[in-house]
Amino acid sequence: MRALARALMLLTLLDLAGCSGNGAPAPSSIRVGTALAADQSLARTLDTMPRTLDPALVTDADGSRVVIDMFEGLTANAPDGSIIPGYASSWEVSPDGRAWTFHLRAGARWSNGDPLTAADFIYAWRHQVDPKTGSENAQELTPIVHAAEILAGRAAPETLGVDAPDPHTIRIALKDPTPYLLDLLADAFMMPLPRASLEHYGDDWTRPGHMVSSGPFMLKELVIGNRISLVKNPNYWAADTVRLERVTYYPLDRATQPSRFMAGDVQYTSFFSPEQYRWLKSQLGDQVQVGPYLGIQMLAFNMLEPPFADNRNLRLALTMAVDRQVLSEQVRQGVFPPAYAMTPVLPGFQEPLPEWASWSDDRRHAEARRLYAAAGYSASHPLKVELVYGTEPTNRDMMDALAAMWRVNLGAQIEPYNEEFRVMLQDLALHKAKLFWNGWAAEYPDPYTFEQLFKTGYAQNFGAYSDPSVDALLAAASVEPDKSKRYRLLEQSETLLNAEAPYIPLIYYSTLHLIKPYVKGVPRNPMDIDGSRYMYILEHEGR
Amino acid sequence: MLRFLIRRLLIAIPTMLLIATLAFALLHGTPGGPFDSAKRMPPAIQHSIEAKYHLNDPLWRQYARYLSDLARGDLGPSYQYRDTSVNELIRQGLPVDALIGSLAMLFAILLGGFFGILAAVRRGSAWDHVPMFFAALGIAVPVFVIGPLLILVFAIELHWLPAGDWEPGSVRFMILPVISLGFPYAAYIARMARSEMIEVLGSPFIRTARAKGLPERTILLRHAIRPVLTPLVSFLGPAFAGVLTGSIIIESVFGLPGIGRYFVTGAINRDYTLVVGITVLYGALIIGFNLLADLCYAWLDPRVRLHS
Repeated sequence: MRALARALMLLTLLDLAGCSGNGAPAPSSIRVGTALAADQSLARTLDTMPRTLDPALVTDADGSRVVIDMFEGLTANAPDGSIIPGYASSWEVSPDGRAWTFHLRAGARWSNGDPLTAADFIYAWRHQVDPKTGSENAQELTPIVHAAEILAGRAAPETLGVDAPDPHTIRIALKDPTPYLLDLLADAFMMPLPRASLEHYGDDWTRPGHMVSSGPFMLKELVIGNRISLVKNPNYWAADTVRLERVTYYPLDRATQPSRFMAGDVQYTSFFSPEQYRWLKSQLGDQVQVGPYLGIQMLAFNMLEPPFADNRNLRLALTMAVDRQVLSEQVRQGVFPPAYAMTPVLPGFQEPLPEWASWSDDRRHAEARRLYAAAGYSASHPLKVELVYGTEPTNRDMMDALAAMWRVNLGAQIEPYNEEFRVMLQDLALHKAKLFWNGWAAEYPDPYTFEQLFKTGYAQNFGAYSDPSVDALLAAASVEPDKSKRYRLLEQSETLLNAEAPYIPLIYYSTLHLIKPYVKGVPRNPMDIDGSRYMYILEHEGR
Repeated sequence: MLRFLIRRLLIAIPTMLLIATLAFALLHGTPGGPFDSAKRMPPAIQHSIEAKYHLNDPLWRQYARYLSDLARGDLGPSYQYRDTSVNELIRQGLPVDALIGSLAMLFAILLGGFFGILAAVRRGSAWDHVPMFFAALGIAVPVFVIGPLLILVFAIELHWLPAGDWEPGSVRFMILPVISLGFPYAAYIARMARSEMIEVLGSPFIRTARAKGLPERTILLRHAIRPVLTPLVSFLGPAFAGVLTGSIIIESVFGLPGIGRYFVTGAINRDYTLVVGITVLYGALIIGFNLLADLCYAWLDPRVRLHS
């Protein structure tokens, strides 16, 4: 009966979570020791069932998580996200930054004991760019010589600019110096592939029992919609540093992940809804972990048509009328910080904030109203436009808040209009929407990955923004191997973007994890690369 | 009897064809394709993927191919899970739904039937009011509230049962989903059984039985129960199909590997073959269970004749 009473109280708290939840954290009943637990098994969550575990084909964040546990490429990510040697023990680069040579570890083996050689990498990359494979990742390889021609069907996959002079050496020829090459090589789709398995089993090579892998863990069991179980790979080159014996991934609805965590069924969750933050914090205290993430939520303008094309004053008026502090604190419970420019915090990059970012609300609103009037709009002739966003409950409150801010601060009549995500993508590609939701997560830790969204002709430049000076700076940055020089170029291009305002920055995303106090070694980095390789379990009482 | 059966099965064929055609047309008519994503692909690769799944063919040819595969029982490859076929997904998921659904139905019949009949026999007492209060609650409270509430009490607070997951054959993982899924049906059955029983107990043949001096137990178990079961059976046919197909919420609350979740994610991801396949399966199940209910109905009630 006491349990029932407490449960009812919890339910009431759930109802109130939106407006209260400032109570002191419940004392944790878990006691943690200092020695390693005898049972090194970790249960963790995924938001969705991965569409495939084939490293060449995986595109979703959840699939990549599992693939990174099972495969390792030439490079890998340290817990802080930095690049460390993987199957390549060392490498050299030519002075012009175009020719790379990688040396493989001696005695490298696949999980089935077969030798892992340079040929497995060459095979994997040719397979990746071959249009017959149908990989959505293939265009990421275009910095490599001939990749673009192969993708277009004008050259054979064997002409790709990679070769293996001996079984332990790999050479990569690049069209241009590619400053993020080492990050690229750690990505899921750059992993070596076991040619014999692919040729023997065809599409079925990713089944348990067939799948051969190169990483810290190997596939044991896969039940679609329920679980993916991995066990430690004894043939992994650094197997003696891997402490977990078993990792089980559960694809779970985001809403049910916290209850599974609180019941002790899973010990680590990959994400929770920011709407639940204050309530979870009140229940779980330090088990709720929030960290910076390289991702931004913004809006963008259609730059091909009125009312926003050729009306910089109007674009600036809308962006300055947004109260980002309110979006961050009220709408997102303080877990997502406000964004005044494009690139999230990145060491060494001087974020070019617009001048108005530091103004008082009143001053900013006044200037927004002045620009709105200068753009040709007034109370008798208000701006009327739809704000298109993808159907998701967590987007709606944000869009409603924005519409209210524009109504109160400018008198503009902007109607949020939701479309199912795939329908929206199609409309954006056809440039149908005038003002629309846009979000981006970094593919590698570099401002370029964000700013390229406004490069002329870039596939995801949904607003069709085009500025020759921005394009020139981006082109120069993309071939500049010196990081600090690159960052100076990208600071200039971002300054230009902020002045022209083809987008409205709203908030930066954060990593949001629930972690049991006895799970240690969890990687913390702004790319949210959280492989199980470094995690381990301490002795504990209670769950 | 046999003629009735053959007739019904023959009518089912055009119905199934209509279901398959409508599902096919609706999905293909929805904007956005299975391989559209935020990342745009080079044309050669897009083309290669579409060729693999015959999405480049004219729609009529895709439709013809689909129907001819369907006639052979092949529902095609899943677009969403790129290395799995729809048949495989159904083979893997349907047994879970069937087990949970059957147990939930059994739970609902036993619980609802017992308390419904008890309420009718002890009409006006606490044995009537308390179960009927819970029955009203069971009808009013949706599954997505009952499920999390049970999890909160039995998994998070008491740690007696897991909050979700599935091990084939393990009872621990079935208890909460079965109760959550079965409770609303138990509530319906209880109310239905109560009102039927009250009506039957007031009818002349029961009065005759009482006048003959039969013990109350014999009257209830031998004479009254059969007419009470008849309307229940016509409810159970569609309800059983509903339990099998309507466990989508239960599956996602408890993380069960059933087909309902594929159905929802399939629709979001434009997994044409998967969604059409499951729609056809659901259609077949509903037709099948309705037919079964009609047969039982005739067997239970001699006044019903199967010729139409």
